[in-house]
Amino acid sequence: MSAASPSFAAALSPTEPEDLTQRRALFAEIDASCRAPLIFLFGSGLFWLILGTVFALLASWKMHNPDVLPDYAWLTFGRIRPAHLNAVIYGFSSPTAIGVAIWLMCRLCRVPLIQGRLIALAGVFWNIGVALGIGAILAGHSTSIEWLEMPAYSPIILFASYALIGVWTIIVFRFRRERHLYVSHWYLLAAFLWFPWIYSAANMMLIMAPVRGTIQAAVNWWFAHNVLGLWFTPIGLAAIYYFIPKVIGRPIHSYYLSILGFWSLALFYNWNGMHHLVGGPLPAWLITVSIVASVMMTIPVVTVGINHHLTMVGHFHKLRYSPTLRFIVFGGMSYTVASLQGVMSAWRSFSEIGHFTHHTVAHSHVGMYAFFTMTMFGSMYYIVPRITQREWPSAKLISLHFWTTALGILLYVGPLSVVGFMQGLKLNNPDIPFLDVVRFTVPWLRLRTVAGIIIFVGHLAFMVNLIWIFIRQLGPYKQPEPMIIAATERPAGGPA
Amino acid sequence: MNLLWILSACSFIIFPVTALLALRWAYRHGEFRDMQKIALSIFDEEEPVGEMSDHFPGRSRALKKEVKS
Repeated sequence: MSAASPSFAAALSPTEPEDLTQRRALFAEIDASCRAPLIFLFGSGLFWLILGTVFALLASWKMHNPDVLPDYAWLTFGRIRPAHLNAVIYGFSSPTAIGVAIWLMCRLCRVPLIQGRLIALAGVFWNIGVALGIGAILAGHSTSIEWLEMPAYSPIILFASYALIGVWTIIVFRFRRERHLYVSHWYLLAAFLWFPWIYSAANMMLIMAPVRGTIQAAVNWWFAHNVLGLWFTPIGLAAIYYFIPKVIGRPIHSYYLSILGFWSLALFYNWNGMHHLVGGPLPAWLITVSIVASVMMTIPVVTVGINHHLTMVGHFHKLRYSPTLRFIVFGGMSYTVASLQGVMSAWRSFSEIGHFTHHTVAHSHVGMYAFFTMTMFGSMYYIVPRITQREWPSAKLISLHFWTTALGILLYVGPLSVVGFMQGLKLNNPDIPFLDVVRFTVPWLRLRTVAGIIIFVGHLAFMVNLIWIFIRQLGPYKQPEPMIIAATERPAGGPA
Repeated sequence: MNLLWILSACSFIIFPVTALLALRWAYRHGEFRDMQKIALSIFDEEEPVGEMSDHFPGRSRALKKEVKS
């Protein structure tokens, strides 16, 4: 940390200058301060992404060839599938989201990151927690609660590491030198305050001191839906709201709509989880309230979708030139698709067909991959050159990464959504034997594996590009493109 | 059943109530005034409006020629 970093006591009560904007930090200063923690968070995230994809491929393969590797207990579907989920959610998505969120928070607040090394240290502990948890799942110690499979010791480590990161991010916010809050600010602040609440509440009620009966299912889906909607979605949207205007150089089409989108999400989203339990033995009013809230989610989704589209109108040709914009716009469009699909899936009449089929799997991948992961890739393409002061080594690898992941995920979710729905119709027909329904899905599950392999190629391309940046760093220093201002070029008179 | 009520209270009441309190703070703090200015707050002299701030590596010159926004 730099000498300018305030002490812990000072951090709790920042002295506010008369004119905050006078003390704004330069973007390059902020980027430099984020360097170590972000490189660690992104690097470790990438490791878990690759491992999680391998788990996913194996799980997918076992769906159409169950006799592959049957002799290894730790590679059975029941362990490899939760290992995949935990690797991509807690190993890849959360640290990457935290990295992007910290960087955005510092940039929006115009202050360099405070206590960057502490955040990197918290990242190390987070990874230890994830490694222990996934090891335990593969060893057969899963709690069998979806999205919370890690045994009790892992969530404690994860929560403590998160708390360290979250506290310092809120302190950065306390030190902000920007008078007004941009819409991304709202999303980030909300995410950083919501996540510890839902994560600790769910762990206490399900793992530490389990509640009984169907209430477990209610808590489970309250958590699983909210971790998507109140943790990943706000960070994803914060990134989209920042990067689309930033990259194309044009302010957001309507700031009014963006604010409406945030507040309607804040008010409606957390009621949604029970729609996963349509038909379950829960009080009917609980599920009905949830379905109503899910349908009300149309308001934030449509406002956000319209706003992003109208910002991009007239600038779509810029997709050719900017890797960040490609991934972010793909993610933004997928957000609209994923959310409207989610609204539709919440209905009782739809759940009767779609529930317990591959449709749900496809839907969750539209949300977590096509929207969230693609948005994070886009953000990393913007952030990494700025924090490392190095250009991406290969434009071709970036193109390869985009086209493989974009086409791969479309090939995954498109057919599987339709096939899942047909599978549901067949399952509801008592005249069709169960095994016939299973056989009907097999060719499409093969297609899913193919799509997964294509996506894996994209991830490898990304990994090569990222590692290449650091290998090249060992060689002679190459002056970055003029677009990226070096931290040393700060004018003598202080920040403007 | 008591726990269900606690959960419902948490989920359906405390979350929206905190959101409403935050909304009140935002309104009183003037976050909903002069919105165009807030929309522009992410730009400054370093990264001004009207300039693309991202491109494929090694293609910045081609970009400047081709893109006129």
